[in-house]
Amino acid sequence: MASPRRDGPVWKPRAENQLLAHDLPRVDGPLKVSGRARYSHDVRLPGMLYGRLVCCPVPCAEVAVDLAGALKLPGVEAAVVVHEGTTRTVGQVVAAVAARTVEEAEDGARAVRLSIEELPWAVDREQALAPQAPAVTRRGNRRERGEDGDAEAVARALAESHAVVEATYSLPVQHHVCLETHGCVCDYRGGDEATIYASTQATFGIARDAARVLDIPARNVRTIVHHMGGGFGSKFSLDIHGRVACMLSKECSRPVHLLVDRSTEFHTGGNRSGSRQHLRGGVSAEGELTALEAEAEMFGGVGGGAVARMPYIYSVGRVHARRASVHTHTDSSRAMRAPGHPQASFAMESLVDELATAGGFDQVEFRKRNLADPVYHRQLDRVALEIGWPGHPHRSAPGDAEGIEAVGIGFGVSVWGGGGSADACECEVRIERDGGVTSSMGSQDLGTGVRTYLAAIVAEELGLELSAVEARLGDNRLPKANASGGSVTTGSAAPAIKDAAHEARVAFAEHLAEVLGVDTGSVTFDGGVVRAGKETLSWSAACETLPDEGLRARGVWREHLQASGVHGAQAARVRVDLETGRVRVEKMVCVQDQGLPLNRLALRSQINGGMIQALSYALLEERLIDPDLGLLLSDNLEDYKIAGSLEIPELVAIIDDDDERAAPIGMAEAVVIPGAAAIANAIHNACGVRLRHLPLTPTKVLEGLAARARGEEVR
Amino acid sequence: MKAFDYVEPSTLAEAVAALAKGGGRERIVALAGGQDLLSEMQDHLVEPGTVVSLNRIDGLAHVRSDAGGLSVGARASLAEVARDEGVRTGWTALAEAAASVGSPQIRSQATVGGNLCQRPRCIYYRNEHALCLKKGGQECFAEGGLNHANAILGGGPSFIVHPSDLAPALVALDATVRITGPEGGRVEVLEGLFTLPSEGEVTRETSLEPGELITSVEVPAPAAGVRSTYLKFQERASFDFALSSVALALGVVEGRINHARICLGGVAPVPWRCERTEQLLVGEAPGEELFARAALDALEEAEPLEHNGYKVPLTQGLLRKALRSLT
Repeated sequence: MASPRRDGPVWKPRAENQLLAHDLPRVDGPLKVSGRARYSHDVRLPGMLYGRLVCCPVPCAEVAVDLAGALKLPGVEAAVVVHEGTTRTVGQVVAAVAARTVEEAEDGARAVRLSIEELPWAVDREQALAPQAPAVTRRGNRRERGEDGDAEAVARALAESHAVVEATYSLPVQHHVCLETHGCVCDYRGGDEATIYASTQATFGIARDAARVLDIPARNVRTIVHHMGGGFGSKFSLDIHGRVACMLSKECSRPVHLLVDRSTEFHTGGNRSGSRQHLRGGVSAEGELTALEAEAEMFGGVGGGAVARMPYIYSVGRVHARRASVHTHTDSSRAMRAPGHPQASFAMESLVDELATAGGFDQVEFRKRNLADPVYHRQLDRVALEIGWPGHPHRSAPGDAEGIEAVGIGFGVSVWGGGGSADACECEVRIERDGGVTSSMGSQDLGTGVRTYLAAIVAEELGLELSAVEARLGDNRLPKANASGGSVTTGSAAPAIKDAAHEARVAFAEHLAEVLGVDTGSVTFDGGVVRAGKETLSWSAACETLPDEGLRARGVWREHLQASGVHGAQAARVRVDLETGRVRVEKMVCVQDQGLPLNRLALRSQINGGMIQALSYALLEERLIDPDLGLLLSDNLEDYKIAGSLEIPELVAIIDDDDERAAPIGMAEAVVIPGAAAIANAIHNACGVRLRHLPLTPTKVLEGLAARARGEEVR
Repeated sequence: MKAFDYVEPSTLAEAVAALAKGGGRERIVALAGGQDLLSEMQDHLVEPGTVVSLNRIDGLAHVRSDAGGLSVGARASLAEVARDEGVRTGWTALAEAAASVGSPQIRSQATVGGNLCQRPRCIYYRNEHALCLKKGGQECFAEGGLNHANAILGGGPSFIVHPSDLAPALVALDATVRITGPEGGRVEVLEGLFTLPSEGEVTRETSLEPGELITSVEVPAPAAGVRSTYLKFQERASFDFALSSVALALGVVEGRINHARICLGGVAPVPWRCERTEQLLVGEAPGEELFARAALDALEEAEPLEHNGYKVPLTQGLLRKALRSLT
């Protein structure tokens, strides 16, 4: 019989698992809901000071900083200049203060005197593209980012098309709105060591930068991220907030707590870029997408912004696409859950919907006809059935907007990679003589459930209950892990955890075989007991045979233990109040594949979260900057509206069990992509009002209804 | 935050005396539930020299109703008003308005008097760096700016909307307020308490003088057959202010409307009474045609700004819904 070690680890078929592919309540759930989980924001250390940032209220200015007034105030222990000279974003950080209390730090920050010489600014597209616009970047305010395809071929194909739709779609800047704001606690008390308690997606990514600011060796910087309150792509680096925490801590050799207030978060925490996309698409009489001309502008502030490539997911005969960044004096865009994809999805799915309507096609059949991958066909059929499409009265033409209310259904599809990064993660499993098992990897759990599968994969392998394995993560002294972004964590981490679990099991089996004088192949672990030959041992009895130091096994990334490429389909059903323009999303359905579903409960939760975030983006979220005053007016959660509990519809999250791939794949980004488009399409389906600009407010619905009543179309 | 003195008088007379010292350079402000005041202080919109707490004064927190009418103390919480059985059955619009405010936490802390006296939510007013008319500046930035939430009626020179939900409901219920001040007590029709920016001082929303306090709201018993409702439209269903709201009290006898009071919220710098529309309704038989005519009439004087024209059809729609719901 071949030894298990040489066979290497393989994922069991789903049905054979006791824990994996089941609903596993997350292991840190009780801590989080009871308030006992200590987030980075909750860290309190002896002698700790609180930091506050000073932001320049003008988008573009020459700024000089005078700290004297702040340093005179009671409680203020340190103040630093962060930036002098030209500022170029609304709310740019220019100075910071540390004091004994938050209130004293706020007073200190207000007492920092700024000499501001205002410079001309551009905070929106119109200002940025005006003839006399001030240059936001050295390379101008509009930068071409690439061109694909053949414009002439597209023009010919459009001319021959049965129907052509030309429209402009736009999406506002969206904020991440992490519950825990950006920043960290820097514990530096002089000397050459420091600990950073960070709210970050990159436990291993920030030590070097912190060390540089503190002027100490990078190896002496420990980073701890036991619990963190959301990142969504906005927390990959030490960032300005963390750098300033280190500057202040260095200045006074005391721990500094600097997690920013909500206004500073909105000004400096990054965002999903806005976009404006002008599309021209054609369809044949048979319902095939013939051609697409696409021009996208990306509004990433001083950053480049993102819009995924066209055509997005759908197959189109001829395509010509161009993208450009339009720069403004606003905070740079960052990665945000599927960067560029919801933007491309909203434009593409809206256009597809418009072309289906123009040709008089059933929305679901039309989509299937133009999606090459058959996975989408089964997924669309599934969501269509679940949302009630087969009995819906408006399948190839919208409702007539008569009466007081109208109900509509809309669709969208998603795509993502979700594979892991080679050799990015390692895992250590320890089995102690007292029966304790730990599974350790330095990775961070953003709320995605890493901590739970870090324990569950090991418990599954050793035939133990989930609670018998302790997961340790969020610490750069633990085995290495990559940053969590792009849904790579599962594909990077799960193989290493599986490998470590496998190594531990095999090593334990070999040990027991030797101690008990049986074949290694006869040792099995199941239901909390160990069987070896004819003997049955309790787990603790088996562990007592270990030497004092217990057993340690190390796992590394194995390519065959992960896969990549996920698909999803979503549907939304809305009820539109034709008198007030109120859009009530009644139900959303998502079918999502992800290979082996490690934890079905966490996956459904992730799917629900994606739909909710998309609903919020679709209906409510909008950054408001006054172009004349240059002020960010939506720097609070009253005016930057995110969905509340009363907006949440019936959510149906379906794990696609027709996907038979044996290995897990990351999918968190995919599920946020198509929801906004599905809702916009549902509004059109309900009442014939095509809304091409997010958010889909009652204002726009009412304007659309009025225009429709006049026989016009709103552009 | 600027340091301030904090006093907790135990009688109304002491509170009035403490508040009446104001008017000079140092602002003296009254604190009840604190839901507006504390956020204004945190945002540095007001930096008072003295805060006078009303929370140790007995007798300002009652909710009492009988055949003669309803009396609500200024310090009664919105949660108490919303759940009071007498209010819910006799003065439904008030209970619905109170229940529509903010969040459960806010309603348990916020008071009736505070709700009536709260300051505007205009995004320019609430931003410390925008020195607008309401803050003593020279310009209403909303007039030519991001004004989708601002006034379509009664605007100018400031275009705020009055943010209170209780005020339109109470105006529609013919409420009066008891006021105590340095000169003694007075009773005022609630509707008359609110001042348009073109009438009174542009930095205030009521005619209350320094040192004056609302102590209670008195609402007459509704006439036989009169029912009321408050419909609020907010962008987000929870924790949001009204983009538009309609308070309606309506009596129907033998198939004819014999009593109508309409007051709009979220569309004007004051709770906006629609007397002409009320007269249009009285004597008529309820029906969709009449409701449509009333809705057009109520908004006839609307003068929308660049981004708030939608409030006209929205408010018309709300009024039709309110009329439908009470007939």
